[in-house]
This record gives sequence, structure tokens and C-alpha cells, in this order.
Amino acid sequence: MLQPLLEIKNICVEFKTRGGALKAVDDLSIDVQQGEILGLVGESGAGKSMMGAAILGLIDPPGRLSSGEIWFKGQRIDQNPEPFRGCEISMIFQDPLVSLNPLKKIGDQLVETILRHKRMSRAQAIDRACRGLIEVGIDPERLNAYPHTFSGGMRQRVVIALALASEPSLIIADEPTTALDVSVQAQILKLLKKLCDSRGTSIILITHDMGVISETTDRVGVLYAGRLAEIGITDHVLRSAKHPYTQGLVASTPKIDPDSFGRSLYQIPGSMPKLDAIPTGCAFHPRCTMRTNKCSQERPPMMKDTAACWLLEEME
Amino acid sequence: MVLILLRRLGQAILVLFIVALISFLIFRYVGSPVDNLLSQEATVQQRADLEEALGLNDPVYEQYFRFVWNAVNFDFGNSYRGSLPVAELISSRLPATLELAFTSALFALLLGVITGIYTAIRRGGLLANLILTLSLIGVSLPTFLIGVLLIWVFAVELQWLPSFGRGEVVKLGWWSTGFLTLSGVKSLILPSITLGLYQLTLIMRLTRSEMLEVLRQDYVRFARALGLSQRSVYFKHALPNTMIPVTTIAGLQLGSIVAFAIITETVFQWPGVGLLFINAVYFVDIPVMSAYLLLVGVLFVFINLAVDLLYLAIDPRLRDSQLSGDS
Repeated sequence: MLQPLLEIKNICVEFKTRGGALKAVDDLSIDVQQGEILGLVGESGAGKSMMGAAILGLIDPPGRLSSGEIWFKGQRIDQNPEPFRGCEISMIFQDPLVSLNPLKKIGDQLVETILRHKRMSRAQAIDRACRGLIEVGIDPERLNAYPHTFSGGMRQRVVIALALASEPSLIIADEPTTALDVSVQAQILKLLKKLCDSRGTSIILITHDMGVISETTDRVGVLYAGRLAEIGITDHVLRSAKHPYTQGLVASTPKIDPDSFGRSLYQIPGSMPKLDAIPTGCAFHPRCTMRTNKCSQERPPMMKDTAACWLLEEME
Repeated sequence: MVLILLRRLGQAILVLFIVALISFLIFRYVGSPVDNLLSQEATVQQRADLEEALGLNDPVYEQYFRFVWNAVNFDFGNSYRGSLPVAELISSRLPATLELAFTSALFALLLGVITGIYTAIRRGGLLANLILTLSLIGVSLPTFLIGVLLIWVFAVELQWLPSFGRGEVVKLGWWSTGFLTLSGVKSLILPSITLGLYQLTLIMRLTRSEMLEVLRQDYVRFARALGLSQRSVYFKHALPNTMIPVTTIAGLQLGSIVAFAIITETVFQWPGVGLLFINAVYFVDIPVMSAYLLLVGVLFVFINLAVDLLYLAIDPRLRDSQLSGDS
């Protein structure tokens, strides 16, 4: 098997509080292959964004990466992620309205980023910035425009141009379309996918939208309470989820077909535990309809590389 | 751009008319000018003649416009004491106050912004905490006490700096400056620190909290994620955004530095307009008081005008919304 582009091995992200350390990400391992789009899905507070920030070493204090290793192209980066930041790995944030510095022209922001990572003259950088804008469908004439003169969707295009400016091998997109209109969402995702496909760039797409996952990603990881609940090829996971939590997520996604009109949407009972009250054993067991005694006592390991659930053990 | 300037200027002039009205009302109705000009033995006829001569029997609005017209021509009447023209008194004192205000504003702004940024970036650090603790002194001690303490330490005990006055001054036309002589500069130090210390701590704390706020913004996180250097993130991206609110407050504070100079000038016997005003209050010298009020009003209005224009230079969003006509 090929060496993965990014290997995350057993990482934990901890927040020190007066009540002790809270684990926002708990013993999480995941790989990203060259050129693939990996989706990360889960409810708010499941640790999705924290994981993205952990890769670039951008966790805000008092949080910190307390254990585990992150390897990128065969180099360990969790100790010193700075040389990779923006250069090999870029990040796109949720709200394009606040992702751009309001006081700087978009051209200046692009040129600064390009010059930071590439050895070239200013004129070359401006030329490159123009090409970057054309690629994301923005008139290069607008190089001298300020961010506030763009709409949300256009700003996210600028953000994508910025993230791609240094030709990274991996982009972490943290809910890149959540703040946008539905019609714009699809455009932005299509654009991101097209640009990354043509460059062989991998994407980690963080979202809570199962629709986005099914349309965009090759593989999907399901996070629950900072732990990986299930991972696999997107189609397989959506069609035949192994973990009861994933099944619940899929069942609670609205579908537009005549059969479901008038029927109320499925809800997973209860809500995700707070970080200071994570249940023993499997974190999902209090909400699980198929729980056994073992679920509340022992934390399930990843079974057959697909799901962390004791049910899979019994099926063997 | 010219249009914005004209509109702002129009607003400024309107404000000045209102300030002039208040100033006029004080001039006209606080005490009677006739009482102050005539001796107690004056006859009723003499009083009536003087009232007529001063135009006090004209309609109030006519008197007001005459007051404004005279003010525009720098004619504020004569001081009751010594009968010197008020304009002459003020213009001979103004350079002292403006130089003091300028020096302490510079001191407060530079040091305030620098320490503000430092304490924000090194949040929780030893030196940062020390600076923050010390800044409490600046906030909590009253100006006159700081002045007296500084005099005691640096003028009385150490004898490094003079305790009062302006030192030697050099005449440049009608302007007298203390910047060009050693004793003038030395004399500036203690009063400037006294006057600027409160503003310094205010600007520092404001810069710090704004900077911390800006550092939490997504565009700063994005700039970091793009791999920009710490220096660029702090100074090219975070700092300009921090300076927008700081500019407003600093501008307003600059006005109050001039206004509060009264206390500092009293402590250091600084021969400026503040001291002139205090003496005018003692002797109910109404023309001087109303002219001083007008002067401070004009200063505030022009500082605000300058701050507004500075805004437009810093913030492109504001520039566009102003150009498109909604403000």
C-alpha cells in the first residue's frame, strides 16, 4: 500500500480546566491518501474543527496536542508544524465574511501569501495572483478591490485562491460552505473539487452536512465526542453504516422524495455529552438503541478498520 | 473625497456655531458686562449710554451674530483685568499649552500603543503583567498628585529637572517655542508625563484589549493558517485593525489633554491658556472665559474632523459607504 499523504496517529487534544483536563479529541487515528477527499462529519462539538486545527498546530490555548503523532509525507510535523503551514497544508475557514482582512486589498493578501512561500519577483507574484483569481472565476481586474465589495460566495472564492496560492498538497476545509446560500454552496464545492482534482491536492472536508459528504467525498470519517466512530468509503458508509450513531445520522438526514413527505424526520434520542461528562465505555452508549452491558464498561476499539462498536465483534 | 471633506467641514461649522452660542450666552448673561466696566458710582444715564454703545439693547440674535463675526475676526473684546485684548492674551499663551499637549500626546500615544501591543502579544508574560499592574497607578492616581510626586522626586530630591515654568523660549514670529533650548526641553518633561500618564494607560489598555479581540478574529487565524510570519500577522494584519477604535479614543483624548492641561499647568505654573483660564475664573473675567471655551470647542471640532479623515484613510469600508452617500 502507498504511503499516506497524512497520517494521524492516536492524537489527543486536551483543554486544561480547573476541573481537570478535558479531551476534545480522544485517541484519534486517521490517514489521508494522496489526491483523495476525506470527509469528517459529526455534530457540533464532536472535535472535527479541533482535529483540523491540530494538524496545523493552530489550537488556541489553553488547548494543546497532548499526545499522538502527525506525519506528513514521511515527516513528523506535530512538533514543528510552522514550515508546513500555508505551504504544504492550507486551511479554509467557515465564514468567508470574516476570513479576509477587511483593510487589505485582496491582491495584496494574495501577493503576500505567494511571496511568503515562493521565490519570485513581485511582478511575477502579481501575475500569479491574477491567474489564481481567474481559476476561481473572479475577474483579475478586481485585484485592487477590498473584501467588503465581494459577496459571501465570491469571498469564499478569494479564500480558495489564497489557500491554493502556494500549491499545497493538502487543504483542510473547515465547513467551507456552512455560511453560504445553498445554491452557492454547490458551486463552491464543485470549484474546490475541480481545482484539487486537477492538481492532485487532497482535501479534508469538515462538515456536519451529510448531503455535502455524499456529493463530495471519497471516504468519510464519523466523529463522536472526540473519537472516531466509523470510517470507510463514503458510498459504503452511507448505504450500510455499521455504527448505530452513523445509522442515526444517515436516518436523520432529510431526503427529497415523495415517500417521505409528511413523515417526521428521525432524531437520535438525547444529545452529545459535554466534554466533562463523557460516559464510560463507548461514548455513544447512553443514546444507543442496541447497547449491551459491555458497551458501558469497555471502550470499543476500531473493528475491521470500519467502526468502533462492539456489535461488529458479535457478528464475527 | 473632496465631497466628504466638504460635508464634514459643514458639520464642523454647525457644531462651532452651537459652541459659539453657549460661549456667547456665558459672555452676555453671566454677570452684566456693564457692571464690570463701570464703577459703582455710575449714573443710570451712563449705564444706559454704555448699554446702547455695547449694543446690549439690540435683538439677541443680532448680538449673537455680532459675537460670532467678531470671534471669526479674532476679536473677543478686552479682558476686564488689565484691559488687554483677549485675543492677544490667548495667542501669547497658546504656544505653551499646545507644545505641552503635543508632547504629552506623543508620549501617551507612542508608549501606549507599543506597550498595548506588547502586553497583548505576550499575554500572561511576566513583564506584560508587570506593565499592566503599573498601569493601574496611572489610572487611579489623580493628575495633580502625580505632578507633585514627580516634582518631589525629580526636582526636589534628585534636582534633575526644573519644578515649574517653561524655561527659556525662542520666538519664531508670534510663536514662542521651548523645543529649541535645553532648559525648555527639560521643563517640558515633568508636565508632559503628568499630563499624559492617564491617557497613556488608557490607550495602552484599549490597544491591548482591541488587539486581543482582533487576534481572535478569523482573518488572523486564516493569515496564520496561510503560513504568514508572526511579524506579518501581528503588525500587518492585526495592528491596522486594532488602530481603528484606538484612533477614535486617542483623538478624543487629545482634545481632553488640552482641556485638562488646566490642572497640570496649575501644578507646574506652566504659562499656558489653562493657567490663564484659572486666573480668569478667580477674577470673573468673562471675556477670557468665553474665549477659552470657544477655543477648546474649536480644538475639539478640528481634532474630530482630523480623526474622521484618518478613519477614511485607514478603513476602505467607510470610504466606500461615504462615497456612495450613506453615512
